[in-house]
Amino acid sequence: MIQEFKFPDIGEGIHEGKLLKWHMEVGDTIQAGDTIAEVETDKVNAELPSPYSGKVIALLAEEGGIIYVGQVLIKVDTGEVGKSQDQTVEPVAEENAGVVGALEASSEVIPASAEGRKQEAAIPPKRKVLATPVARKMAYDLGVDLRNVTGTGPGGRVMKADIAAAAEKTTAGDSEASKPEQKHETKLEAASKDRNQIERVPLSMIRKTIAKKMVQSKHTAPHATAMDEVDVTELVKFRETAKGHFDEDIHLTFMPFIMKAIVLALKKNPKINSSLDDETEEILLKKYYHLGIAVDTEEGLTVPVVRNVDQKSIVRLAKELNDLGQRARNRKLTIDELKESTFSITNYGAVGSIFGVPVINYPEVAIMGIGKISKKPVVIEDELVIRHMLPLSMSFDHRVVDGGDAGRFMNDVKKYLSDPYRLLLL
Amino acid sequence: MYDVIVVGGGPGGYVAAIKAAQLGMKVALVEKDEIGGVCLNWGCIPTKALLKNARVYQEILKGDFFGIEGIDKDSLKINWQQMGNRKDMVVKRLVNGVKGLLKKNGIDVFMGTGVFKDKQTIVVGDKTLKTKNLILATGSRPFIPTIEGLHAAMEKGIAITSKGALQLTDLPKTMVILGGGVISVEFATLFNALGTKVILLQRSGRILKGTEEELALALQKHLMDQGVQIVTNCQLKKVEGSKVICEVEGREISYMGEKILVSLGRQPNVEGMESLGITYDQKGIKVDAYLQTNVLDVYAIGDVNGKYQLAHLASAEGITAAENIAGKKNSINYKLVPSCIYSFPELAAIGLTEAEAKEEGYDVVVSKFPLSANGKALAEGESIGFVKIIAEKKYGEILGVHIMAVHATDMISEAVVSMEMEGTIYDVAKAIHPHPTLSEIVMEAAHGAIDKPIHY
Repeated sequence: MIQEFKFPDIGEGIHEGKLLKWHMEVGDTIQAGDTIAEVETDKVNAELPSPYSGKVIALLAEEGGIIYVGQVLIKVDTGEVGKSQDQTVEPVAEENAGVVGALEASSEVIPASAEGRKQEAAIPPKRKVLATPVARKMAYDLGVDLRNVTGTGPGGRVMKADIAAAAEKTTAGDSEASKPEQKHETKLEAASKDRNQIERVPLSMIRKTIAKKMVQSKHTAPHATAMDEVDVTELVKFRETAKGHFDEDIHLTFMPFIMKAIVLALKKNPKINSSLDDETEEILLKKYYHLGIAVDTEEGLTVPVVRNVDQKSIVRLAKELNDLGQRARNRKLTIDELKESTFSITNYGAVGSIFGVPVINYPEVAIMGIGKISKKPVVIEDELVIRHMLPLSMSFDHRVVDGGDAGRFMNDVKKYLSDPYRLLLL
Repeated sequence: MYDVIVVGGGPGGYVAAIKAAQLGMKVALVEKDEIGGVCLNWGCIPTKALLKNARVYQEILKGDFFGIEGIDKDSLKINWQQMGNRKDMVVKRLVNGVKGLLKKNGIDVFMGTGVFKDKQTIVVGDKTLKTKNLILATGSRPFIPTIEGLHAAMEKGIAITSKGALQLTDLPKTMVILGGGVISVEFATLFNALGTKVILLQRSGRILKGTEEELALALQKHLMDQGVQIVTNCQLKKVEGSKVICEVEGREISYMGEKILVSLGRQPNVEGMESLGITYDQKGIKVDAYLQTNVLDVYAIGDVNGKYQLAHLASAEGITAAENIAGKKNSINYKLVPSCIYSFPELAAIGLTEAEAKEEGYDVVVSKFPLSANGKALAEGESIGFVKIIAEKKYGEILGVHIMAVHATDMISEAVVSMEMEGTIYDVAKAIHPHPTLSEIVMEAAHGAIDKPIHY
């Protein structure tokens, strides 16, 4: 019997993806679990496993094209007869069965492609699209993804007329949804400048997601920011000493300590580890402590999540951070690793900044910005001394958290960070 | 019942027939005169053969320049008959080649004038042929305007057409050429190079209307330097025997020529097609983008559809028509048709001229590069000419390429391919051109269009 495989809901609000590569051809015989295709979503690249065994009789999407959740991707002739549609529904589909297919457990990710990394090119050259030089340049200028354009030239070559048509279609589609004034201004500016002075770079999937999430956060949560400096001289000393105590080669940064301090402070200030349910008008206090750690990658910001920070040792955290950071940069994170953070940390100190005003990782209610630790003159008991100071800025959702709450939370964080023994022994 | 009958065996018709046969159709070809049409028999090929003779003669005359002594120029003689024989051999060989191709592709060839009964029925001699589709490729013939005394001169054999010029028994001492188009210029080049005193009468201000002005003027000047008398702004009044009387700037002047070559354009061969019900005017048969006439399953290609009079375009149209009969929906991009003039030096062009590009509203960049800065050209002693590239500024897309050079006609294809692929000056500049070749001038001009050429 013929089974259809739909692009499953792989979670995290992903509605669409780009079909990077088929792993099979029509006529191939496949086993359940075989990879059907590689898909790039705004978060990760994923391999889609087949829930069916049988013969592939149709591939219903094109490489390089956008596919939507619920869209039928392949048809498989399972060779079985007599079974009704209902009986063949995979058990895993139960949870989110419905219009869309379900993805059988697969957090497997494909190796990040080196090709896709250079985003200054208009076309991530996953598949070389046959296009004329002028068509390429036009596509680049007009922000048209060549891979979504059907070429009318010989052998399907994309000609400039195809790009013009595609661009027109896009503009027509856009104009209804977006704010016309803003668009107009940008356009005017672009028009008045020479083409050499403005380079048009189409947004990558990840960029689009960042933009969407940032706007959502800033539009929804009224941001307020508390700033402070922590004397971390003792922590600096402690870390130096601690470094010598491991057999393994562990890259021990301040981050695990900061995470620990934050989690301890979150436990004392539960409102900070929450989110707001607008509809029910309830604050959801979370009893688990998953910290999102902002990672700067070539493609843009990603926020992998270290789960249950309260249950992990400093060394374990250091290892996990290292691993997540690396995989984030290589785009090897799985969807699960980007989910369910309760509070986030952004370490702009890593790039040398002192203070920042971070944007909350919505729907969380607060985010801690970590500045660069530097030696500063400090007055202690009327003496001018040199101390290691850590600047902190915490943005919070003022609908849920007040300045007093934020201040108390900051004080707790400070207390733990300035006294590593208290931090580690508690 | 044939799938396709092609009427006319020129470069449009025979190519259409071969393509249709290759696409699996049952094909017949009807030709009233010679397979190969004007192109092979009385046009492109024989003139090029004779031009080669003329060229060799000119090269020999330049012996001193190349350090070859002992040539007594006074005793050099043109053996026109032998030149004609060589030309005929070339033509015969090519025509036989085409016949062989038709046979190989299983095409039935019917020699004779096709009489159209209706769009499915053609009578050739005593045979009645039936077909599903018809490709009209009947070509064109010289246009003879009504000028007093011209017909009489033609009857006497003084005034001749291009076909007559190729069949002359003797090389004329003097020749007046009426018209300044491509055919006129080629015959002027040919006869002038062979020592005939050539006078070319041109109605407008310059020769080669439609050719990039800069190249046309450069060639006009060069031809005049070589001894061709070119009279511009010349209105033909009448012909009296071998005397052509015309009005130039208000004055009546007469020119004498042993022969008068009438080269004032060509007209389509549309006669005898009334029964088909097709629409045509004096330019030719009207066709749509797919080369189909107003009558379903009747196509018209080549000179007879009045678009251009170019063998290579006729062939391209022939292929397209055959493909469309086979179910495709192909069309020709008439903006990308190269044209060639086999003068000394040659001209070749594709795309827009500078004036046309500006007229169409393009923001253009124009770049030229002379042959005199090219190593191969100097080595060959053929340094007259230049290349001119017209591109639009935004993407650098090439809009037109015009070449004046000894082998310009062999060089233009680079531009044709580039433009077919919507190529830019950046692509052409980046493409590594072999050294030493004349083709380097195209790359240099592309560099010049971007910034500056290297060798100038």
